[in-house]
Amino acid sequence: MADLTSGSGLKSAALLEQMRLHMETDAGKELTKKVGLVYQLNISPKKIGQNEEIYVVDLKKGEVTKGPYEGRPDVTFSFVDSDFLAVGTGKLNPQMAFLRGAMKIKGSITAAQKFTPDIFPKPSKL
Amino acid sequence: MAMRDLITGGAACAVPGSSSSSNPMGALANKLLGSSSKAQELTGLPGTSVTVPSSSQGFSPEGPLSMIPGSEFENQQYRQPGSQSSQFLSGFHSAEHGGLEEAWNEVRQPPFLPPPIQGRESQAHFQEFEQIYDRGANSNFQPAWDGPPQRVLSSFLHSFVESGRAGVPFRPAALPVLGLSKGDKQCIRDRSYIMARHMFADKSEEYIHSQVNALLHSLDIDGDERVRGPLHGTMPEFEEYWTESQASRPGMTPGADSWISEFSQHRQENGDPEAWANSFEKIHGANGWASEFEQEQLQMTSVGQMDRAQMLNIEAMEQTRMLAHTLAQNSDPKIQNSKFLQFVSKMSRGELIVDDNQIKPAIGSSGDWAEEYQTQYNAGPDAWANEFAREEVSRGAETWVNEYANEHQETADQWVKDFSRLEVDDWADEFGKQLGEGVMGDRSTENWADSYDSFLGEQQKSDSSKGIYVFSDLNPYVGHADPMKEGHELFRKGLLSEAVLALEAEVLKNPENAEAWRLLGITHAENDDDQQAISSMLRAQEADPRNLEVLLALGVSHTNELEQASALKYLHGWLQNHPKYGSLTSPEQMESLYYADVARLFNEAAQMSPDDADIHIVLGVLYNLSREYDKAIASFKTALKLKPRDYSLWNKLGATQANSVQSADAILAYQQALDLKPNYVRAWANMGISFANQGLYEESIRYYVKALAMNPKADNAWQYLRISLSCASRNDMFDACDSRNLDLLQKEFPL
Repeated sequence: MADLTSGSGLKSAALLEQMRLHMETDAGKELTKKVGLVYQLNISPKKIGQNEEIYVVDLKKGEVTKGPYEGRPDVTFSFVDSDFLAVGTGKLNPQMAFLRGAMKIKGSITAAQKFTPDIFPKPSKL
Repeated sequence: MAMRDLITGGAACAVPGSSSSSNPMGALANKLLGSSSKAQELTGLPGTSVTVPSSSQGFSPEGPLSMIPGSEFENQQYRQPGSQSSQFLSGFHSAEHGGLEEAWNEVRQPPFLPPPIQGRESQAHFQEFEQIYDRGANSNFQPAWDGPPQRVLSSFLHSFVESGRAGVPFRPAALPVLGLSKGDKQCIRDRSYIMARHMFADKSEEYIHSQVNALLHSLDIDGDERVRGPLHGTMPEFEEYWTESQASRPGMTPGADSWISEFSQHRQENGDPEAWANSFEKIHGANGWASEFEQEQLQMTSVGQMDRAQMLNIEAMEQTRMLAHTLAQNSDPKIQNSKFLQFVSKMSRGELIVDDNQIKPAIGSSGDWAEEYQTQYNAGPDAWANEFAREEVSRGAETWVNEYANEHQETADQWVKDFSRLEVDDWADEFGKQLGEGVMGDRSTENWADSYDSFLGEQQKSDSSKGIYVFSDLNPYVGHADPMKEGHELFRKGLLSEAVLALEAEVLKNPENAEAWRLLGITHAENDDDQQAISSMLRAQEADPRNLEVLLALGVSHTNELEQASALKYLHGWLQNHPKYGSLTSPEQMESLYYADVARLFNEAAQMSPDDADIHIVLGVLYNLSREYDKAIASFKTALKLKPRDYSLWNKLGATQANSVQSADAILAYQQALDLKPNYVRAWANMGISFANQGLYEESIRYYVKALAMNPKADNAWQYLRISLSCASRNDMFDACDSRNLDLLQKEFPL
């Protein structure tokens, strides 16, 4: 199995894996110019804060990795698996997610506001 | 009946000081049974010009901000050093104070400048104030109250409750200065309204107003101030919902301010504040959006105060009430007499409750409707309730805005358009931003979010267990002689959305028709709706558990939904039930499926018969599951050599290529699929995704629009379209997207 999804029971891992591949494309590289921030994602299967898996979406370097960021990310988000997926695919807008308490933010709000569905590639359907 | 009991009982439950929503049931019931719209009552009153007592004290020049709703919140949080002011806030803090204040005053005090057009509003004010002042004039003979402020206040409040129980109109009293803080006052004001609604549930809204106003007047609280929204006097329901939400959600007001100021601007331009309210009311009923909003509130406020079952009932009632309302407005006698409407209205009146996923009469038996309903629909009576709930959740609060925008396309009023631009979304954005600030400064915001979390967590559990088929309403094929044949024909012609309707009619008629369910599932998948595809396929599988096509389709759809475990289960099931390869599997493997084992079995099968296209297809899906895209692509290509005219196979190849960031190749594959099946919505939508993932947003928009023109119900595509519009800086088309105006979109983005 491929990198990010191995050993993970999270659906989000699949999206993040696709994000990882996406970072190598032109559109992905564009993101590092446009956003240029480091996001850490703490994603839990059921309840925020429990059994978290930690991923880093580094839009400075253009990488998606598993494990906590070495240093200080611009923003750390906490999600439940399905909510992250909903945000990443545009089903749930991040403000609404925050409003509903489905997304927690630690760090710069300005940076958090650049965390929008359009930075994620969309999964195509078989 | 039962509802009444609940409400009157509500007085006992409403402990003063408890949180506002301790008896939302009562509040809800009050709304259900409440007096008729104030606006209607008032139309009969003669137009009078009256000097209304000034209520502008709150807006003295010294402290304009302090009286603007939400300013407490603002002072605490938004002036922290280093806090990042959003655009909205900076606008708010700029020199606009005077303007905002003016606007606010104007909204709230139409009587001072009574142009004829505002006559009804001034009457509303007049009535209220007259009542307050009538009572106020008599208040001098009341005994003086003494003691520490706390006790004075509590005994005073008790006397209010007592008078309510005794059914005696409450007498205001002259109280010593209690030194209530602004927060206290607001708290008392909000809670007394809620209490009063419980106590005087059988009385008119006017009566409740006068009672509470009498109380508040004595406490030197401006009772009228509770109305924070701009619509005072015209739509009492709005006020109610507003007040209730205010009581429990301290953070909400700042977002509302922009709404208010924008509204008042429009008002100035248009001068007719009631026109839109009236027309909106005509179309949607006074409760339309407010009840949606209220529902959201209920969900948020009731966390931890009610048990889940009760909550579900309330939700269901809310939703059914809206449904009933909508249905009731349809003048078609067929609908008016339908059992479904009867069912829904019973549900909405609380005569029926959903308990443990069974529908039961609330008190006593309400007849055998449930049975009839069940035989008729056979989907289980709880199905529609859940489905409806899901539909509501997914459509969310934007619906009314969209609908409203749609309805008014034709009207010349410029502001209508502007108003529709003021989507709920924007509002939420602002609110989210403000809360964002709050996280850093205010613990209570976080606590609030926490408690909502736990609720959300619970909700998701019920959501994930969905898999319940959602039927379209108003299906023209119901009653068709042979909907199955018709469905087949439509599917073959590529009219997928029509085929869905015909097949739905078939499975309503013959719920055990596995083939109809299967075809329905395939149609939904091709129409880019995996949730419905899964639901249909589950029904097909129920009727025919060993159908290979069904098992494969379920595996594919779950793969698309990134549900690995379920996908694996069905793909393994496919192998197990295959006449040729079934012998490869052993029954005990069903217990614990490991990806590697399943993959190994399929590889064995592929070696057994390398010329079986199907086995390569399933292998391809399996490799998608494990994200071994190169192998998946190879498998699909092998299968395509054997089955070159299988359009869904071309799409599978394309999707796999797209997911492994070979978007350019993917587009070629999709093109093949579309050459074979021009109305293949999924392939059109996938095309859009591939262009978007390459950063070619203009192109992606055209493909999404094309897909949506064929299936306007493809929610994913709508979401993606909006993202692409934003990326392509075509924010001018957000309106069209949000109101789902396909004509405009197609004109703007032809393909």
